[in-house]
Amino acid sequence: MKKKLSGLSDIRRYFHRNDTPYWFVSATPFNLLGIDEWVRRWSYVNLIDCFDGHHPRALVPPRDQDRVFESIEEITNYLLRHKQVVDGIEANGGGKAVFLFFDEETESICDELGLQVCFPKAKLRQEIDNKVVTTRIGNEAGVPSVPNTLGKVTGYESLVAMAKKAGIGTDLVVQTAFGDSGHTTFFIASEQDYAKYAEEIEAEPEVKVMKRIRCKGAALEACVTQQGTIVGPLMTELVGFEELTPYRGGWCGNEVNAEAFPLKVREQARDYTFKFGEALRKRGYRGYFEVDYLTDLDADELYLGEVNPRVTGASSMTNLAAFAHADAPLFLFHLLEFADVEFELDVQDLNRRWSDPENIDDWGQLVIKFTKDEIQHVKKAPASGIYELMPDGSLQYVRMQTHRRTAERENRAFFLRIVGEGDYFYEGADLGILVSRGRLMTEDFQLNERGRAWTRGIRALYHGEPLVKTQAEQVASRIADAGGFKML
Amino acid sequence: MRFDAVAEDDPGPQWARCQEAAWPAFLAWFLSQGDAARPDYLECRRAMREHMPELVPVWQRLVDVAGGGDQVARALSLWRPSPYLSGCSQAVWQRGESFLVRNYDYHPKAFDGTVLRSRWNGTAVLGMLDCLWGLLDGCNEHGLAVALAFAGRRIVGRGFGIPLLLRYVLQCCTDVESAVATLARVPSHMSYHVMLLDRAGRHGRVTVHPDRPATWSEDGAVTNHGESIEWAEHARATRSIERLRTLQHALHDSGEDRDRFVRRFLRPPLFQVEYSRGHGTLYTAIYRPNDRSLELAWPDGSWRLPMDGFPVGSMTVTYPEESRA
Repeated sequence: MKKKLSGLSDIRRYFHRNDTPYWFVSATPFNLLGIDEWVRRWSYVNLIDCFDGHHPRALVPPRDQDRVFESIEEITNYLLRHKQVVDGIEANGGGKAVFLFFDEETESICDELGLQVCFPKAKLRQEIDNKVVTTRIGNEAGVPSVPNTLGKVTGYESLVAMAKKAGIGTDLVVQTAFGDSGHTTFFIASEQDYAKYAEEIEAEPEVKVMKRIRCKGAALEACVTQQGTIVGPLMTELVGFEELTPYRGGWCGNEVNAEAFPLKVREQARDYTFKFGEALRKRGYRGYFEVDYLTDLDADELYLGEVNPRVTGASSMTNLAAFAHADAPLFLFHLLEFADVEFELDVQDLNRRWSDPENIDDWGQLVIKFTKDEIQHVKKAPASGIYELMPDGSLQYVRMQTHRRTAERENRAFFLRIVGEGDYFYEGADLGILVSRGRLMTEDFQLNERGRAWTRGIRALYHGEPLVKTQAEQVASRIADAGGFKML
Repeated sequence: MRFDAVAEDDPGPQWARCQEAAWPAFLAWFLSQGDAARPDYLECRRAMREHMPELVPVWQRLVDVAGGGDQVARALSLWRPSPYLSGCSQAVWQRGESFLVRNYDYHPKAFDGTVLRSRWNGTAVLGMLDCLWGLLDGCNEHGLAVALAFAGRRIVGRGFGIPLLLRYVLQCCTDVESAVATLARVPSHMSYHVMLLDRAGRHGRVTVHPDRPATWSEDGAVTNHGESIEWAEHARATRSIERLRTLQHALHDSGEDRDRFVRRFLRPPLFQVEYSRGHGTLYTAIYRPNDRSLELAWPDGSWRLPMDGFPVGSMTVTYPEESRA
């Protein structure tokens, strides 16, 4: 039995001296950028070469460019079965595997490769990922959702009857159990509204019907450990800005900022998240999860939005914040939970420290998508690394870098490129993620001028050309097959 | 059409040259239904380990020689490959000396024309390469000779491409009995007849299927259909029934002699000229287990390739004009 780790410096040293290979297998390295500097023998296994071969810990196997994927799970499984990846894993004697998304098939491939999956079982994750189940867990744990009712909807009349019974009025929001909330949240105030989504809603055995409130989103990441639930800072969410995304309700960034929410809201979010984490632990869940909250702008209430039992698009914010560097990134505690070592940690003390505004430095990220409804062939794309915003609004490449930490001033930012030269622009394609110091939204939660300037600057570094007609049809059908699923 | 005779004991530069030359056409065939339609590397490796464990080290060595890539490894495993049809006539002659004779009828552009004499895993094997390391026909140092013919069924299932089964049989079996057991055990992805002849003169054919057990018959002749005609268009287009009748008639004709029997393979209906339609006769092969030799024959010449004293070199062959209807 290995010696019990006592406190943070033991834990940090444990990972700095780690001998077990860790493999983060996903479309891109985005969600856990920078973890390689905390965990020895960490590797990224990716489909997309965001760093053009220059990331020292990234393995990007060559592939058939015509292959179409329909989900991240499919990408995960494809990568794990690729010979270069299999050879790499086996030459290192297996190790432990980390994913953004995985399924039961992934688990069986990992068995075959001698990889230990550092997550609770896919089946349990799938269950918790269900928005209807999440609502119920929240209710049990004392974490309220927006006034709602759960049930099967068979038509507009049945929807109205359910809402009436629950006393939530007729201005409603309906959500299905699974799916990217940008695509599976329906705003319904009339029979006409309902008709647009009737098919999707009626196909579900059970949906969540909520009262529509005026709200803004907030996100928070946490980690269930044997010593208690560790809670990160409350982040703002950037949603639906037309400069960034073609999707009205689509996520397009986050900010970490100590003062973005009133103290009362921050404290309530921490308390709710801790309670929710403990409820998850009772269900056998361990490790990283993310909670989306809705803050009611009219009633000053905080509500549970949805829970993602995994790392997310906000994880690179949580794991590269000042408190993460002062203590350890939140994800390290997730790895610790799945490491074969006992540890002792004063979770209460850590949570107290992490809620201190001193430990929260201001950062923001923009997820920049192609917003036009057309297809183009990408002829020029910027490299990943550090950029500087020049007085004339243009961006200058400063140097190659693998994460945001060395972007020191507000006129500098780290850009992670997703769509590269030779790829295609299509509506909703992720150009990349820009991470910069300072705020990206105004006090009333609109994209600020800095955010706009950086977005314009990045777009100006790309060049796409329209396709000839036959080519366009071919590419369009491939993109239709892929369905434009969320890559991040 | 150029035929090459290549000798190399272990996989090395000679095989690499054959692989490089054949790769573009082979890859196009491998990808004919798209990369995603072919099984992934882990599945291929599982299949190799389960069904042909003795061949795994050779497979890995060849993959390394060919660059070690994912597609190469998957393609070389020949596990659940793209569909593959060929037309052939084959027979075993057993009056006086025993030999296996066959015509291989296919498209010249999808044929490499390479005879390889190798000693992979310590067993000397001589045969006509197909699918980079599989065999259309061949014999080994024990005097076991084999040849394949498509059996005229369209069904495709979970199994290996037949050329690799022939390779496996010659690498691991010593006589007809062990070859029959092996062919009955290892799954084939489509239906084929495999004609067998060993040094003791035992002979017959195994017909393998993806969906039913293999069958055994001691018939001395076979073409491209089974007990019944399942795919009439294919049988008609390749004149399968006519060719079989010709073979059976000759084998039962007491006036037939060895040389005349072999010459029949170089004339219609056995010899076919529909090259552009994918079933022209590319060569006639005669395997003699007693002296472990192959003789390739065409209407205008022949080439003797014994296992001992194997002549490395090339020969160019011109095929007859296709008659135009």
